[in-house]
Amino acid sequence: MYIICKELSYSYPGAPSNVFSGVNWSIKGPGFFSLFGLSGVGKSTLARIISGNIAPKSGKVTSGNGKILYSYDSERLPGWLSIERHLKKTTPAGNSALLEGLISGYGMGRLLRHRFSALSMGQKNRVNLIRYLVQDFELLITDEVLANVDEPTRYEILGSIKRLFPQKTFLYISHNAIEVARFSKTVYILPQASDGATALIHEVTGLDQHEGYVIDDRTVQGKVYEILRTASMEGTMP
Amino acid sequence: MKPLKRLIQFLIIYIAGIGLLWATKYSLGLSDYLIPPPHELLKTLRQDGLDYLLASLNTLVVAIQGHALAIALACVVGLLGSMRSTIGAITRTAAYNLQAYPIVAVSPIIFLFLGDGLASRLIIAALICYFPLLLSLIGIFSQPVDDIEHFFNETGMMNWRLRIGIRVFENIEKLITVLVGSGTMAMVGTIVAEFLAATHGIGYVIRKALYQDNLASILLALFLIGLCSSIYLSFIELFGALIKNKLQGDANNNEI
Repeated sequence: MYIICKELSYSYPGAPSNVFSGVNWSIKGPGFFSLFGLSGVGKSTLARIISGNIAPKSGKVTSGNGKILYSYDSERLPGWLSIERHLKKTTPAGNSALLEGLISGYGMGRLLRHRFSALSMGQKNRVNLIRYLVQDFELLITDEVLANVDEPTRYEILGSIKRLFPQKTFLYISHNAIEVARFSKTVYILPQASDGATALIHEVTGLDQHEGYVIDDRTVQGKVYEILRTASMEGTMP
Repeated sequence: MKPLKRLIQFLIIYIAGIGLLWATKYSLGLSDYLIPPPHELLKTLRQDGLDYLLASLNTLVVAIQGHALAIALACVVGLLGSMRSTIGAITRTAAYNLQAYPIVAVSPIIFLFLGDGLASRLIIAALICYFPLLLSLIGIFSQPVDDIEHFFNETGMMNWRLRIGIRVFENIEKLITVLVGSGTMAMVGTIVAEFLAATHGIGYVIRKALYQDNLASILLALFLIGLCSSIYLSFIELFGALIKNKLQGDANNNEI
């Protein structure tokens, strides 16, 4: 799966300035990539454009064959079904074994008979992620989908995603510099721009941590500083 | 218990109203002709109570039928109005414009065409509660619940039944309130129709009492109307609460 963005610009209706303008960017999967940036730089907007949820003001997005899915953290499941019934109803035929594995791996087994409203925020995040992971997709864009999950569990989940889906492409949007530094193949950074319209996307090579692969804290720390420095850089074209 | 609460509230208001009338009568020394004394009200109750009760039940049955008709019609038109197509846009525009016209003003035409029987009462009752119901349903059916619908849209699993199901479920309390409100309107519509031209029902009884300047009969009729309305609205609330509990589950027990 690949994504190519050419001269992409977007502004919200009625807003005085663009969220970003003239962005040229590409991703070539498979792999686990991250999109990082400070609040309000337009990460979610860019993700929604790539997934086709909103149209750009100008510019073009082209992608390879295969389904692109976009998921975000505040999604909810219909309240009239149990978690189990919802997951079974929405899992494509042939992915049942994967579903069972994810339910057990993400510690959701004992909660299957509950309604979504009865879950904690972290559990809600995990159920939502599971139902996307069992779909047939080529690129999954996850927008802060593990925002409420505790750190050790989050690391386990990210490690397992990389192990279970080596042939898929992920674009992981997060505010957490440590986890994007650790797990990403490449971290794409939307920097702040003085006029509010980012034009560049910087690239930082991530540490691409896999399950069972230990990276020392000093290396992670160095990468985190590099990501944060890049995110604070001026983002407009010279 | 909420249904019982509604009945008790009605009784309190009715007794307070009657009490105020009698307090005014005795404090200002008004005549029995203007405000009937308690014994005259009791006499009317003994003489005409059963007939009035049957007339009220007749009105209630017509109101329920009219309400059901309006709900069915509003659901169908509401579904059309929630569509994003031209048909949806036309339906919404027509609904918003037509609802501004007072339906009561059309009632004489309905009586002229259909006579003073059941059909006219039924149609007027249905029309009076139909438009508020329709506008609410169009609002509920058209309002996306993005947090839930997004997944189904993304994965291509969304269909119109699921979309409506999600929106109804998320607005179930609002829907019950709308149904209760439109139930009152159906009762009002039926009584207005009877008052205007029909030959049955409690509205017709009130019209006769009005011609005879018989306030005791009117007070008795008002009591029975309030009683019937309270029972019907309580039933809708109870039914709504049962559906809500079935769908949403007990707050203390979220396991299914």
